[in-house]
Amino acid sequence: MRIELDRPRCEGHGLCEEAAPTLMHLDDDGELVIDVPDAEGADLDAAKAAVRVCPVAALRLAAA
Amino acid sequence: MTLQRIVVVGNGIAGLTACDSLRSAGFDGELTVVGAERHHPYSRPALSKALLHGDDGNSDGALRAHELPPPTHEATELLGVSATGLDVDARLVSLDGGGELPYDGLVIASGSRAKRLASWQSGGPQPEGTSRELTLRTIEDAVALKERVSDRPSVIVVGGGPLGMEVASGCLHMGCDVTLVSGATPLSRQLGDHLAGIFTSAAIGRGLRVVGGGKARLVDRGDSATVVLADGTELEADLVVTAIGDEPNIDWLAGSPLLTDGSLRVDSRGRLRPDIVAAGDVAFFPTLRGVQRVPLWTSAIDQARVAAVGLLQGDAAPEFNFQPYFWTEGFGLSLKAVGFTPVAGAPDYCEPGGESGSALLRWDNPDGSGTAAALNYRIPIPRLRRLADAGPAALRPNAPARV
Repeated sequence: MRIELDRPRCEGHGLCEEAAPTLMHLDDDGELVIDVPDAEGADLDAAKAAVRVCPVAALRLAAA
Repeated sequence: MTLQRIVVVGNGIAGLTACDSLRSAGFDGELTVVGAERHHPYSRPALSKALLHGDDGNSDGALRAHELPPPTHEATELLGVSATGLDVDARLVSLDGGGELPYDGLVIASGSRAKRLASWQSGGPQPEGTSRELTLRTIEDAVALKERVSDRPSVIVVGGGPLGMEVASGCLHMGCDVTLVSGATPLSRQLGDHLAGIFTSAAIGRGLRVVGGGKARLVDRGDSATVVLADGTELEADLVVTAIGDEPNIDWLAGSPLLTDGSLRVDSRGRLRPDIVAAGDVAFFPTLRGVQRVPLWTSAIDQARVAAVGLLQGDAAPEFNFQPYFWTEGFGLSLKAVGFTPVAGAPDYCEPGGESGSALLRWDNPDGSGTAAALNYRIPIPRLRRLADAGPAALRPNAPARV
């Protein structure tokens, strides 16, 4: 699955980084960077957790 | 015993997370989720934040900020259906409309509802004045409020907590004349005097009128609504929005053995008994600061994760280590806080940010823990947590990661 970011929605909470630190991070300006856009296996669970925790639904999983 | 049938009562973020977590933890049996609301789960925090402030990110006027990705847990969803009773011996949840759902495992995530001013004074039938009292809890509430506010009515907001302040900010933003009634300095009970002072000053600077006053009463006088304060002061407005807290939806559990002194108190794994767990706004749970109910977004998500595994794995499941995260927006301010609040006094550490009014703050709490807050300062939560847990040194370059 591919992690997609709707950047205008992102408010920079960074809860996603906490849920999936190996897949994404907020940079020094507080902008979200998706480090691993295609998540499979164990990464997919982390990606789902990251998508779910976002209070503004800025992340989505789409078929790769 | 391996669970075959799990019923989740409640389809908010706690119920949704519980379903997801059950699947992630390997449960592939029959999963049914019962939701009193007619919608798929949505983001409640967005209702009072982006929606009211109008920066909803689209041009067609539709409300979008609250929408969450569609569920992927493949549960049977019963939407617009309430649980009305529970038989813990027969393991049956009864539903309005007369149906019953058998379960081997049950997740109670039935949430809470807005308290209403009009019902404060008596437990009897709805007294006069209720028609002008709006609350903000559901998407329907948000749509109604947004519509009413678009005519720029004069507004009284009763309640100086985060929700009341966010509603007041949104109404000001829409051009309304707004009076906020609050027993103490707004936000002081939630955040402490320092942060409350910053928000209240900003609010007053933007035109909010703040009126002190204990328990208020609502009187409908036809053309306008009147709020009568404890000292007899009368305030009049076109619209009254109350934000005086929430109460857990546990009516359907009346008479069940699950309630302790009228509340649901779970153990450190979210359990009420081996086959029943609870999570989200409905539940009291153990924290480092005692048994609390914490009706907030990340609290609901984290509780639901713990409870799902607690239901499947029992004593082998990890215990809940509650790490508070809270955010609010309004009056041009954005606050994120990690660690327990309210915090006492001025911060022990303050690092100004790039813009005026922007800062990273930290308090040393008497119990040895730390609370960190970011005011108009974009910072990843893991970094803010490091500041809360380990102090400012943790933010320096090359600082060792928290173990």
